[in-house]
Amino acid sequence: MTRLAENFHYVGAVLLFCIGLYSVIMRPNIIKKLIGLNIMETSVFFFLVSLGWKEGGIAPIYGGGAEPSRMVNPIPQALILTGIVVAVSTTAVALALVILLYRQYGTLDVDRLMREEELEAVPPGREGEG
Amino acid sequence: MGAYRHFPILIIAVPLVTAVLMPALSYRARRACMPVAAAALASSTVLTLLLYRVVKPAADGYLSYHLGGWEPPWGIEIRVDFTGLFMLTIVCCVSLAALVYSRRYVEHELEEGKLFAYYSLFLLLSASMLGFTATGDIFNMFVFMEILALSSYALVAVTGRRDAVRAAFKYLLMGAPSSIMVLFAIALLYSVTGSLNMADLKGIVAQGAYSRVLFASLVFFVMGFGVKAALFPLHGWLPDAHSIAPSPISAMLSGLVVEVAAFAILRVFFSVFGAGASAVSGTAEALGVIAAAGVLYGGVMAVMQKDFKMMVAYSTISHIGYIILGISIMNEQAVTGALYHLLDHGLAKGCFFLCAGAVIYRRGYRRIDQLKGAARQMPWTCAAFSLAAMSVIGIPPTAGFISKWYLIWGSVAGGRYLYAAVYLTGSILAAVYCLRLIYYMFFVAPPEGSWEGEGKDAPPSMLIPIWVLSLGTLVMGVFSFVIINRLQEAVGWLL
Repeated sequence: MTRLAENFHYVGAVLLFCIGLYSVIMRPNIIKKLIGLNIMETSVFFFLVSLGWKEGGIAPIYGGGAEPSRMVNPIPQALILTGIVVAVSTTAVALALVILLYRQYGTLDVDRLMREEELEAVPPGREGEG
Repeated sequence: MGAYRHFPILIIAVPLVTAVLMPALSYRARRACMPVAAAALASSTVLTLLLYRVVKPAADGYLSYHLGGWEPPWGIEIRVDFTGLFMLTIVCCVSLAALVYSRRYVEHELEEGKLFAYYSLFLLLSASMLGFTATGDIFNMFVFMEILALSSYALVAVTGRRDAVRAAFKYLLMGAPSSIMVLFAIALLYSVTGSLNMADLKGIVAQGAYSRVLFASLVFFVMGFGVKAALFPLHGWLPDAHSIAPSPISAMLSGLVVEVAAFAILRVFFSVFGAGASAVSGTAEALGVIAAAGVLYGGVMAVMQKDFKMMVAYSTISHIGYIILGISIMNEQAVTGALYHLLDHGLAKGCFFLCAGAVIYRRGYRRIDQLKGAARQMPWTCAAFSLAAMSVIGIPPTAGFISKWYLIWGSVAGGRYLYAAVYLTGSILAAVYCLRLIYYMFFVAPPEGSWEGEGKDAPPSMLIPIWVLSLGTLVMGVFSFVIINRLQEAVGWLL
């Protein structure tokens, strides 16, 4: 229990991940699914950035008498910067697709989209064949 | 070594840079887009083939390139070993064939103003697959995977039709969470090892500390890549995306995109964790059961389909099961078979989708029963389909026979007789769905009004790529001795 309390940031990251995954899977609204996706991404960034945290840490720049032992590890932060760029691009592509979907179907509800899909599954000219 | 030293980065950078320049080029010379794209991919292909002179199946036979001159494990390393080179060759050849085929097909499907976007995305997809295969840095692999995923979502939706947009969105909704899982796996791995370089990671993992975290990380890796590879219970996005995308893109998605994801599972298993790691052996057991279920599920569903491209899509799920089952058996023969099946699957499934595209291009027919008597008007397309179908079934002397031989040999040598039976059942199911089509094409009279009028086969710019892929399955079967022993040696060093 104490170990869990000491590592509360990991617990937080896992909780965020689950919340995000829940809304991606369970929410019928497409925009809410995308918000869930972004929460999932944030949870991973949060996990990574908490790995690099150090109490009283300083920027890892040599010279000026800085102690190497107090420097924080810059790699997790570099990874997150790249990760944020990737996440933003994914969201941009997803939102572009959402706009197209809304123009074509006039709905953002996944259940309604699935119903449309079933209707479309019968191509024209095939109805008479049984 | 000399100039060879720079080949690994050039193979990736040439198509990547050309992709970015494509919109500017279309502004000046619209007609030049396709030839320039083909030239970029062709130069990557030539460089890849030249690498066979220096990359050898030995412990130190790889070629390593340090990006920006930073030494690994700190900098990003691009490492081409023999198995990676084999995968690079498949990616280059199949994407070049699909690109040549694209010219006539997309003129027919897309409006003029969208063509540059198509070629730009196509090159982006090829370049990201090359980078994904060649990189020796696990985070760099994630970045290339995201470029790959984003360009393939866009390519599925490129026609802008209702069903295409819906299929692309479905693909994105499954693909994006899987990417996050891979990122989470990388974060977990980094949290206990402090390294991102694959070779370095293998050494640290071998020390055996933090086995629980490593196990969790591997499970996330397999789930993430499993969605991308359309491994059986995670395959939901595949049938729609593969059957609705433009045919050359279907060939790329089915022949290459799911394959590089399966290859990534192999990389994570053997190059990052190492075959000896306790996490790997535990995960491989479960993965084998899932993959075997996928072989049978994909086969049965393919038999039940009424739509040509849908059938090929389900057949892809079955064959990805073959490859992953081979990897999970983890002995030399089975992994060699899995690698050779990557080649066979890339060529044969690419050819299948291109043939389906040729029929859609000429006639607009998609259903299987509309193919009755197709050979009267499109004999060359149907003949190429039949040859590729032999490879999918695994009839000697095609490449499909060689790969299945090694896969079954591996499962028997590993004492997994049940898996050998699964492979054989999968082949029987493949025979059912392929032979039905061949029967319809050649031996059934066309129904009234379906294949009448002026008979015309596909244009040469479509027939040539179809035949290159189709003959490729035969040549790689007959002349398999050229490469398969070296491949097995390379796998021996990998395991």
